[in-house]
Amino acid sequence: MNKEEQINIINEAIKQTKTNLKPMGYNLIFWSVVVISMSLFHYFFPQIVQYSYYSSTIYWVSIPLLGMIYTTYYNIKSGIKIGYETQLDRVIRIIWGVFGLAWIFTVGISLLYKMNPVQDILFLLAIVLIMTGLIVKFHNITIGGIGLLIFTVYTYYNPGLNLLLVNVIGISFGMLIPGLSLYFHKSDNFPLHYYKDE
Amino acid sequence: MNKEIEKLLFNPIRLKTISFLMTVETCTFKALLDVTASSKGNLSIQIKKLNEAGLVKIEKYFQKSYPTTDYSITEKGKTSFEDFFNQLQSLKNE
Repeated sequence: MNKEEQINIINEAIKQTKTNLKPMGYNLIFWSVVVISMSLFHYFFPQIVQYSYYSSTIYWVSIPLLGMIYTTYYNIKSGIKIGYETQLDRVIRIIWGVFGLAWIFTVGISLLYKMNPVQDILFLLAIVLIMTGLIVKFHNITIGGIGLLIFTVYTYYNPGLNLLLVNVIGISFGMLIPGLSLYFHKSDNFPLHYYKDE
Repeated sequence: MNKEIEKLLFNPIRLKTISFLMTVETCTFKALLDVTASSKGNLSIQIKKLNEAGLVKIEKYFQKSYPTTDYSITEKGKTSFEDFFNQLQSLKNE
């Protein structure tokens, strides 16, 4: 085996390392559907969700927590199926893990101070979407995140808006559409190039 | 170039294994089988050699009662591979 062949072997092995972004697209779609459905249900049936003082809190905390358990299980399962984790996968996992913790913290604080956490969560989500889009170089996610950020800032200056509808509009354009475009993207594998092809 | 590393990476399966591990955090045996396109027995032997040389770390644990093994590259493996690759490129450019 000569030097040329050795370099070719190295390049071929590296080319096989790809970051599979389909599970991320699935996660974005799943959370969009959950949040939009919950917001619409709350909007059309307030008498059910706000049946008692704590019922809406239980509604908005328990279902997302169940969602977190499900998506954690799904992500572990898809990770095992792929068989490897790239540095990029790890970075994305950490960013969304931090978002999950920040969500719990924000909801906890809002319960203590009796504030609505919708805008704060949307702001955090927009930042995380922009970061994710830039890291994986998928423009639709970055644009969705920027759109969501502008929309969230707009809602801060318009306090009269219905926050349930804000949720529906923000999540639809900021997360659902980019998530669908990522999930149905023709090439779901994003290759990593550590060494230039010779 | 370190003669021991050069000799070790002269084998294409070991070279594919170490190149792939350079780009991932961890991977399973199945992923390495796909990358190297070798038999289970042969791959096991080659990984064992890389492990004995301190280039590859093998972690065995139980996941849902099933024995699982993860493979990753060590710091020594990273620096050795980088030296090896740089040397290869400089030799090629000569």
